[in-house]
Amino acid sequence: MTPSVRDILTCAIRVLSTPPNSDAGPEYAASRAGITAALVGMAAGEGEVAAGAAIAENAAIRALFAEALQYNVALDTHLDHELAPAAEGFDADLAVPALDADNAALRRLLIRLHEAVEKAGDHALEHKILALYVKMAEGRRL
Amino acid sequence: MSGGLADKLAAYLTRVWNEPVAVAAFARISGGASRETYRFEAVTAAGRRPLILRRDPPASLIETDRRAEFLALKSFHGQGVAAPEPLILETEGAELERPFFIMTRVDGGVAASPFSPDPYGANAAALGEDFFGTLGRIAAADPTQLPLAEAAAAPPLDGCWKRELDYWSGVIEADELHPQPIVRAAIRRLYANPPPPAQKLSAVHGDYRSGNFLHDGQGHMLAVLDWEMAHIGDPLEDLGWATEPLWRHGEAHRVAGMLPMADAIAIWEKASGLKVDPKAFAWWELFASVKGQAIWISSAKEFKDGGFAEPILGFSGWVTARRQDEILARRLQEGLAR
Repeated sequence: MTPSVRDILTCAIRVLSTPPNSDAGPEYAASRAGITAALVGMAAGEGEVAAGAAIAENAAIRALFAEALQYNVALDTHLDHELAPAAEGFDADLAVPALDADNAALRRLLIRLHEAVEKAGDHALEHKILALYVKMAEGRRL
Repeated sequence: MSGGLADKLAAYLTRVWNEPVAVAAFARISGGASRETYRFEAVTAAGRRPLILRRDPPASLIETDRRAEFLALKSFHGQGVAAPEPLILETEGAELERPFFIMTRVDGGVAASPFSPDPYGANAAALGEDFFGTLGRIAAADPTQLPLAEAAAAPPLDGCWKRELDYWSGVIEADELHPQPIVRAAIRRLYANPPPPAQKLSAVHGDYRSGNFLHDGQGHMLAVLDWEMAHIGDPLEDLGWATEPLWRHGEAHRVAGMLPMADAIAIWEKASGLKVDPKAFAWWELFASVKGQAIWISSAKEFKDGGFAEPILGFSGWVTARRQDEILARRLQEGLAR
């Protein structure tokens, strides 16, 4: 996901190590420092849960793919051929960047699946996809 | 005087006003991700004048038209809308090296943080009357007769929605760093279910929301700020944005932290002389969430491209984006259940 915890901490390092711009004045510098402090605080929390959140989201997307295959929506051959191995996949590398890369690939396939489901007018499966979206968004709550 | 930019500003004003001008109490104001905003006092033989400088940044969160912003202020200043008076528009940058404009400063007011709980306290209802009434008056004006029309094209009544959706979905297409299935589903739904034509063309502020105005702490607005996304379009666009859940301060029962939705709409209808068609408004509500996510996605890209130097961009692209995704996911689910 972007920005990552690393990105946020890189920002904090830059803010803390860069002298304030003389044009800005103390109020702006204080505001900037305050936002940075808030970001670092949230990054601390995110650092503890980011891997777990990515693993959970990837598993939920794969489960939906498995269900979609059982629905036999007859999406299209290419999509079916991609959904099957994706549904059976797993996160081999539990480092956050690797999990994010897996997540990006799964999300791209999920977008295509949803488009195909809309085209097919399969409301039952669409309800499941929309429920997954809620779960995904809640799972990433900061 | 802080030196640097303040000195250049003094030199500029001395030249254009043709009299000696000193710049005092020069300081940057936080916020304003698409313009650098500074407060200062222009000191001349006649006295001290409190002013605001809005200068283009080296790179911007969103592409906005400073001329449209300037002309939008000119359109509504002194017209029953608390718009600060625009004074100077400099499109070439001149001594300040980047384009900018200068407007009068409204002192004595406060702006709420969009994320603080219950920011208006006991004055929320009175402020809501002013807030939604002002938005209704903006909607009521004939945009073709406003200075804004010099910089903003008037779309056809049935083309307002598509122009905006094309623009903001294009921003997402260009700036998305990680695949975003939720907002993409919302975009498809909006294209598949267009709203009825706009009932009239209006000036659209573009970022009219809680936190983007100054108030006196007693239920009155003192200044409507941040007109940088002003354009001409469907008046329901601003109403959808103003009532977007992101700007509700965490409340379920009041919009903008001020009023129940029905009251807000009634005030807007009375001030504008227009009616809110529920089907059309539902479209603009979902659009507001898409537009929001486009801005936060753009913010995340700007954060990365700028070498993670601006924490406000990180906040928008991370914290606000995730909250927006929750709002979008709920709206998609509720929309299908209707």
